[in-house]
Amino acid sequence: MDSSYEIKISPHFWLRRLHSLSGIFPIGAFLVEHMLSNALIVKGPEAYNNQIEFLSGLPYVLWLEIFFIYLPILYHAFYGFYVAFTGRNNLAWYPYRANWLYSLQRWTGLIAFVYIFYHAYHTRGVNLLYGTEVDFARMAQFMKDPRILAFYITGLAAVMFHFANGIWGFLVSWGITIGPRSQKAAGAVCALVGLSLFVIGVNSLLHLARA
Amino acid sequence: MGEKKTVRLKVKRQEGPKAKPYWEAFDIPYRPYMNVIICLKEIQKNPRTFDGRKTSPVAWESSCLEEVCGICTMVINGKARQACSALVDPLGEEITIEPMRKFPVVRDLVVDRAVLFENLKKVRAWVSIDGTHAIGPGPRVNPEQQQKDYVLSTCFSCGCCLDVCPQVGEGTGFMGAMTISQVRLFNDHPLGKMNAGERLEALMGPGGIEDCGNSQNCVKACPKNIPLVTSIAEVNRQITKKIFGFLGK
Amino acid sequence: MVVVGGGLAGLMAAIRLAEGGHQVDLLSMVPCKRSHSVCAQGGINASVNTKGEGDSPRIHFEETLLGGDFLANQTMVMEMCENAPNFIYMLDRMGVQFNRTAEGLIDFRRFGGTRFHRTAFAGATTGQQILYALDEQVRRWEVEGRVRRFEGWEFLSALIDEGGVGRGVVAMDLHNFEIRAFRADAVIFATGGPGMIYGRSTNSMICTGSAAGALFRQGVWYANGEFIQVHPTAIAGEDKNRLISEAVRGEGGRLWTYKDGKRWYFLEEWYPKYGNLVPRDIASRAIFKVCRELKLGVEGQDVVYLDISHVDKKLLHERLSGILEIYEKFMNEDPTKVPMRVFPSVHYSMGGIYIDQKHMTNVPGLLAAGECDYQYHGANRLGANSLLSCIQGGQAAAKRAQEYVQGLEKGAESLGAKFFEDQIRKEEAANDEILRRHGKENPYQLWEEMGRIMTDNVTVVRYNSKLEEADRVLQELTRRLKDASITDGSKWTNQALVFTRQLENMLELARVITLGALRRDESRGAHYKPDFPNRDDANWLKTTVARYTPKGPELSYEAVDTSLIQPRERKY
Repeated sequence: MDSSYEIKISPHFWLRRLHSLSGIFPIGAFLVEHMLSNALIVKGPEAYNNQIEFLSGLPYVLWLEIFFIYLPILYHAFYGFYVAFTGRNNLAWYPYRANWLYSLQRWTGLIAFVYIFYHAYHTRGVNLLYGTEVDFARMAQFMKDPRILAFYITGLAAVMFHFANGIWGFLVSWGITIGPRSQKAAGAVCALVGLSLFVIGVNSLLHLARA
Repeated sequence: MGEKKTVRLKVKRQEGPKAKPYWEAFDIPYRPYMNVIICLKEIQKNPRTFDGRKTSPVAWESSCLEEVCGICTMVINGKARQACSALVDPLGEEITIEPMRKFPVVRDLVVDRAVLFENLKKVRAWVSIDGTHAIGPGPRVNPEQQQKDYVLSTCFSCGCCLDVCPQVGEGTGFMGAMTISQVRLFNDHPLGKMNAGERLEALMGPGGIEDCGNSQNCVKACPKNIPLVTSIAEVNRQITKKIFGFLGK
Repeated sequence: MVVVGGGLAGLMAAIRLAEGGHQVDLLSMVPCKRSHSVCAQGGINASVNTKGEGDSPRIHFEETLLGGDFLANQTMVMEMCENAPNFIYMLDRMGVQFNRTAEGLIDFRRFGGTRFHRTAFAGATTGQQILYALDEQVRRWEVEGRVRRFEGWEFLSALIDEGGVGRGVVAMDLHNFEIRAFRADAVIFATGGPGMIYGRSTNSMICTGSAAGALFRQGVWYANGEFIQVHPTAIAGEDKNRLISEAVRGEGGRLWTYKDGKRWYFLEEWYPKYGNLVPRDIASRAIFKVCRELKLGVEGQDVVYLDISHVDKKLLHERLSGILEIYEKFMNEDPTKVPMRVFPSVHYSMGGIYIDQKHMTNVPGLLAAGECDYQYHGANRLGANSLLSCIQGGQAAAKRAQEYVQGLEKGAESLGAKFFEDQIRKEEAANDEILRRHGKENPYQLWEEMGRIMTDNVTVVRYNSKLEEADRVLQELTRRLKDASITDGSKWTNQALVFTRQLENMLELARVITLGALRRDESRGAHYKPDFPNRDDANWLKTTVARYTPKGPELSYEAVDTSLIQPRERKY
């Protein structure tokens, strides 16, 4: 037999599946937790600070962060860049809805990466590096600056779109939603989830800004 | 319709694979029921540009002219489709024609699509029968399943689904929706099933299903209305099951 | 071994040769998947009698012969009809998506020239589905390393040595114009029909008949050229006539036109027993009579209605969607609601390259199968017998080729390189000669003229005076082609150059067809002369054999194989 037709499973297969999975778990799971924790902002500084204290008081917290948050996000981001750069956007010729979603997924991924990097540095990085206390007051201070607030809202929108559309894509990539009807229904549910988390997030930010 | 006298055809031309592309415009007398093929034939008979300059005939391919052979696929007004079924009326008075975008240009509108058939080899898109000698009837098939699989089987390898896919290109070597849909077809067949694992593994290889970016342009572009996205998702499900199989080993 | 042609017959031959352990080079001018076989819509005949109607291969055999007005080779037709059920099963195992009965068996529908349900079908794209299945099997053999495919290669000429033995072919890459000799101990030609000779037909643009014409000019005989089938129902178009399959009538479609303000189902009135499913030559003549003689075409035009709007929509979708989509796409009307406007069109050549009972041409080492051969359909082909004869021919030719090679004393390898190089140089010189032509004619315009003269004079109704005139014009066109400039000096994908070469061959074949028709003073099957309206077995129960001479085709006549049944009157 002609050897050029031998069947070989490529590393890319596993890496891409891992990339897809990592977006849901742990990154997606963390995102949901994070948004709900932050929602405590609306209950006032005390509730929020308690939650921060509780989370940062977890045993092995740094290890948990590294393996369930930082590494997955870095992997998801950098493999995502690789994937994005192998594609060629063609919206100009084919401005269909799903094609828009495809392009937006890549653009929001990039925005989300910048945003998360900035956000993580100012909320966690400074604490780890310089021991700066990160609490309600500091975050409120941040949000007083309308440029930062706008940046946060933009970042949040990008993350939520990327997450919601990511779930929708995940359901196709893993063969959970197969036909057009189930994909449409899943699309509606994903949009609702993303929108809800976005509203919750924006509400928290506005609370901080007004505090 | 009567007042329309001529149709302006703007054709993207290219002398050879490495030559620089350029545009030439032709004026074609309008007739009812005219399609792009008739326009191109008119240029063959009288290869002169709209301003009367003599030029070489435009190179293009056609065969069945009934939208079943796929050979006359080109990009018409920005969209990849078959020239034979592209009736002039809805296309407007100026029509742009380009070669397909994702395949190497041979000359003018002729492209080399050999890769489509190579892909079918890679994924073993056939039923591995024992031989062609007389060994009795084949398997019985549920008529409902036949109706479903027949649609998949009408894929004529035109390559539209690859041409419109943002993931197809040198960056990925992605084999595209049609290849994945053919895997679904053969994995569905009572005899073809026996080699389903092999085909799935081929799609886990380079240029395989992981390069799909879910832009879903393929299903919109398919001239035969093959449910390509459904095929991709269905094969994804088979692969997911296979992953669990691996994990259980 | 070399197979030229990647349609049904060529692929079937290649598969059988590969199975037999041979190395095969398969040449095709287009990717095999785009061959004209894709256009076959309605189905493929096999008498399996799963409907309990009492059908049998013997009845299939008799009806095929009757349909062909007893000009077909009886031994070969018998073999084909007996093999048919096994071919269907083979195709089924390959994965052809045949429509199914409730019980999961292959379904069969009715077709012309029979009253049995004998035609297996895959929607309305049966040819496409069968072609794909064979193409897939060849792909498998390619991966196994047994077949090499050369797609995008144009056959130029056969390699025939001094002893008159075929030793391979010379072919040209249609992109870079590389000319190469393919040595082979046996070559199977499966190069299809010559519909393009008529300009517009139901055939694909690649069906030029050029290969058969080229072989003819090299001394390969051509038989029964005058028998050209005109299909009764096609959509007339400026680029081509698009076939509307007989399957439409098999599923209940009716032909009618207006007479005295009322619907007139003329076939049902004239042929009450078979109605709309009379054989194609009869249906085409009837439509000609309605439109030309009685002037009762729709709106006075060359059009009659083919009506399927009364048939259940779900059934139409399951069984005919491919055809109905064609009509809707090209005519912008929904045929499930309004009747289709159709007229006869040139469709198929019963005649072809002369072969013996085992598919060998008069040149040992060169074989032919498929539409380009001539033995299976006589003077008129029954619907859904063409796919069958392709499979039958392909496998029979492969069988004969293997026997032949075994008995061969010295193979193509024994010939010196010079023999092959000379032939390549000859073909290169032929290209250069065409590139040097700088006259005022355009080959595509000449082709149109040829199409018009052939369609007007050598189709359904034939008169000797007009045939003589047509032959004169053809010779004139041949001369004018020498004065044709192709306005493209390139040797890279120069399609006009290729087309000019094809046109030379087409013109030669057109003369074979026309002269065959001129000489045959009788009416038989698709060949109808009002001046000689009856079949004349005493003088014309004969095969026409054409041989090339530089002065034009020379015709002689051969007895037909009638070893199994006696010819009888053809009545429907």
